[in-house]
Amino acid sequence: MKSLLHLVHVSKRFHNGEGCEVFPLRDVNLQMEHGERIILLGKSGSGKTTFLNLVGGMDSPTEGKIFFNGNEITGLSTVKLAEYRRKDVGFIFQSFNLFPTLTVGENLMLPLDLLGVSQESKGREMLSAVGLDGQWHKFPEQLSGGEQQRVAIARALIKEPRLILADEPTGNLDSETGDLILSLIYEICRDRQTTLIMVTHSSEALWMADRRFRLSRGRLLQEENASPKEPDRA
Amino acid sequence: MGMPTGIRTLLKFNLKYYRRHAVLAILCTMGISLGVGIIVAVELINSSALTSFASSVEFLAGKATHSIISGYGRIDEKLFASIWKNPSVRVASPVIDVMAASLEAGDESIRFLGIDPFLDGELRSFAPSQGGTEPATFIEFLSGPVPGIYLSGTVMDKFNLHEGSTITVLTAGLEKKVKILGRIPGANEGLLTENLAIMDISAAQDVFGKTGYLDRIDIILKGDPEKFRADLPDALRLTDASTQKSTLTAMLYSFQLNLAAMSLLALFVGTFLIYNFSMFSVLSRREDMSLLLTLGTDNRSLVAAFLLESVVLGAVGSVLGILFGYAVAWWSIAKVSSTITDLYFYIQTAKIELTLHIALIGIAVGFIATLIGTGLPALEVAFTPPILGLKRQSIEDRAHNLKRVLFVLGLICFLLSLASAWASRFSIFWGFASAFAMTLAFALFTPGILSPLCHVLGTWLREGFRSLEGFLAARTIRASLSRTSISVAALAVALSMTVGVDTMIYSFRNSVDAWLEGSLQGDLYISPATTKWDHPLPEKLLEDLAKNPQIQDVERYSTHEMYLEGKPVRLRIVDAAVLERHSRFVFLQGKEHPWTALKNGAVFISEPLSFRFNLKPGDTVKLQTPEGSRSFPVASIVRDYSSDQGTLHIDRIVYEQIWKDPRIQSVAIFMKPGASPEPVRRSIINDFPGLDRTVVSNIKMKEDVLVIFDKTFAPTATLKGVSLMVALLGVATALMAILLERSREIAVLGYLGLTPGETGRMNVYQALIMGLAAYLISVVCGIILTFIIVYAINYRSFGWSIDIYINPWVFARTFLLTAIACVIASLYPSFKLSRAPLAGIVSDE
Repeated sequence: MKSLLHLVHVSKRFHNGEGCEVFPLRDVNLQMEHGERIILLGKSGSGKTTFLNLVGGMDSPTEGKIFFNGNEITGLSTVKLAEYRRKDVGFIFQSFNLFPTLTVGENLMLPLDLLGVSQESKGREMLSAVGLDGQWHKFPEQLSGGEQQRVAIARALIKEPRLILADEPTGNLDSETGDLILSLIYEICRDRQTTLIMVTHSSEALWMADRRFRLSRGRLLQEENASPKEPDRA
Repeated sequence: MGMPTGIRTLLKFNLKYYRRHAVLAILCTMGISLGVGIIVAVELINSSALTSFASSVEFLAGKATHSIISGYGRIDEKLFASIWKNPSVRVASPVIDVMAASLEAGDESIRFLGIDPFLDGELRSFAPSQGGTEPATFIEFLSGPVPGIYLSGTVMDKFNLHEGSTITVLTAGLEKKVKILGRIPGANEGLLTENLAIMDISAAQDVFGKTGYLDRIDIILKGDPEKFRADLPDALRLTDASTQKSTLTAMLYSFQLNLAAMSLLALFVGTFLIYNFSMFSVLSRREDMSLLLTLGTDNRSLVAAFLLESVVLGAVGSVLGILFGYAVAWWSIAKVSSTITDLYFYIQTAKIELTLHIALIGIAVGFIATLIGTGLPALEVAFTPPILGLKRQSIEDRAHNLKRVLFVLGLICFLLSLASAWASRFSIFWGFASAFAMTLAFALFTPGILSPLCHVLGTWLREGFRSLEGFLAARTIRASLSRTSISVAALAVALSMTVGVDTMIYSFRNSVDAWLEGSLQGDLYISPATTKWDHPLPEKLLEDLAKNPQIQDVERYSTHEMYLEGKPVRLRIVDAAVLERHSRFVFLQGKEHPWTALKNGAVFISEPLSFRFNLKPGDTVKLQTPEGSRSFPVASIVRDYSSDQGTLHIDRIVYEQIWKDPRIQSVAIFMKPGASPEPVRRSIINDFPGLDRTVVSNIKMKEDVLVIFDKTFAPTATLKGVSLMVALLGVATALMAILLERSREIAVLGYLGLTPGETGRMNVYQALIMGLAAYLISVVCGIILTFIIVYAINYRSFGWSIDIYINPWVFARTFLLTAIACVIASLYPSFKLSRAPLAGIVSDE
């Protein structure tokens, strides 16, 4: 069976404007299976976001190749990359990044609108799945941080992507709400067999990873396997 | 004492911002420059036209303190002796002053000044004199077999004419040869602003068919002018250079008013835009400012740094604006000069002279608008608690809350505009106030209209057209109301002007067209190429026409300048019997047997004359005649757009009896049914090759009049274009503002899978929706403005009533123009968007 994601000798470098070359990623190799969940750790500036952007098709590597579901995505046109993100990738951000001008429902339906699918029932179902029944017509500013992140998770998952990229999804939340959000992500990914790459600082999230990696000076280092067991919350 | 360190640091910080956003800085400066440029251009055009005429009058008048002119156009030369002998007069010199064409100078007219060299020497330094000119040449000047002239060097150089050669002057239906004796003696060529020829007065009388008459007498008075004025015969008037200038200023009043009104509206748009640009530049640094406040910078330093920055911006924008205004004035002055010549009085193409006064006006406009634009938002942000300033949404929330207040203010302006329109009967000022208040009202309505419109449009685009880009664009505009509503308001103001002025011009043109249709019923017209030529038609021509069996009627007419209550008006001498049969005059008042009354010695007056002198049928007008003043009853008020000074129509039989003046300037020929006018036209051209007239069909005549009409409004088109350009720069800036402020949201769209093309399209949608909103507002505001311009401004300044015609093409053209311009305005922001590296923008790392 072919893997969902395969990074082969991927490097990224750029000039910092002062004549120096910066290597946020060096010779990264990674293979991920369908439904696998990995956690990416690392200090600020270690290249975690660059890694997510490369995998998510927002940026291209300087060297190496990235395969998604057996197809190479490096070198695709911007339009093809947008299509890839539209169909196959869901992003969850630290700052939620909901559109303040759109209602919860409109924010949620945006990915489906992009795909030309107009299934409001699906949107409502998704909202219910994240525990936000009755919030459809509200604006993001009327929700708490935790609720906004739930909407963001629903938005990322509504199109049923094969890959979820989460960048510090609990960074702006208190630990209690953060735990609830992590559980929610875990459950939904588990139930839908969605592959997850999550960047985090938090050790609280380690339990949900099948594998965990650390980015250090641009190199991806695998750490000791984590237990894929949800902690007891009692 | 140097600049405080805090302010210097902040200034450096701000200037770095401009370096980072060079395109915005350029757009911002361009906005200021265009706003300033419009004002400067109109000021330059207005002042240059009048200065050109005044300097020409002063130069030609020499040392003369006053001129004596006739109240009805010409002075009997027998009156000269009594003037010359008057003890209050130190020097008196008779003058013939004629504009005429010549074969050699093509389309350019030459001013022929006929003087008496023995009497004129003390007045004009450039008059040939016995001692100052070669004796043989002087004798030739006085009594050569061919009349001699001294010609200005510019004409000689331009048309390669030499001393000793002859030129052919076209006058009174004949070709008259005159010999060039040399360049005008003693003339400082630099002061000569026009094509001038000096000739002996008796030769001038002969050449131009003015034997026995003078155009004016220039004098140096040594006594009391008022006493001398009282001694003058009734038919003569005493004027001086300042009176002439004020008369001309009065004549140009309406014309300049038109330009000034356009420039004021343009200034309104310009100020809006300057405010918009400056506000954007401040508000887009709101978060930086709040952070600086958090770091301990004090409010005053912050405001001072921004004000200093606005001084730099205002200075650069104003200087560029003055240069731009100069260029616009330079480009359009020839057109304006030719329009003034066609409509009012002859001027050479005026020289554009940038005076300190005009430059200061430009700088003041630029600085004030920039200071207001920068100062207000800087104050607002500087005195907002830092924590609120960090929240971008707080500004938008405030904008949304403010829109209701603005709507109410708009309603107040709307009512004030209606009240001002009513008050315009007391002063034209209120007419302008009404237009201004109405434009302001709709500008204030804009946020209140834009917000629900975007909501409806967004939903419609999403549900009706499944256009996600359109939906997002509409929502983004609504979300950035503080930015977008100002740009939309500015564009709406510019478009309203376009719609209002275009509808007014279209209505005016249609009214003129309908009037011409009724007035120009003749098959063929023989008339001067310009109304400034008053040479009579040759008698032989009139005799030939009378004998022609194909011709049913010939209507002879002339127009002379007269003075009514000391103000210039036109007296048109017409054949009442012929016109009664052939023309379709529109009688506005006095509709009962008007032609009989005209034949019995009454006059028709035009609407402007009725308006200016508050006259109606049954009143009388007092006109100067060779026998003194005489009253004429007013029979009717007729529609007549030929002059905004006002026109009186009098029957030729009555006129010739009283004025003893049989001169005929023009004729209208009415052919017998079935007879073609073309053979008559050809025979006139063949038989009278030197005829300084155009011989044209009524269609061509109508076209010629409409060409002059269109020329009159040509500067309006330029100003309109510039205003629209300023407004569109506003749209481009608003889009750039959205791009910068919402870059994070735009990046998120990229993460969600929006392609760069789709994001670019969203940007174009934004421009189009803003354009559509501005267009919809402008259609309503523009139509209301048309009524204000026609009834509260035009009628009050010109006295013309205009029937309002709505031209669907004006609306369609404005719509297309807006759509195209908005797409163009969105191109650069879209390009920037497609090149923007979106990855990482949303990262919080």
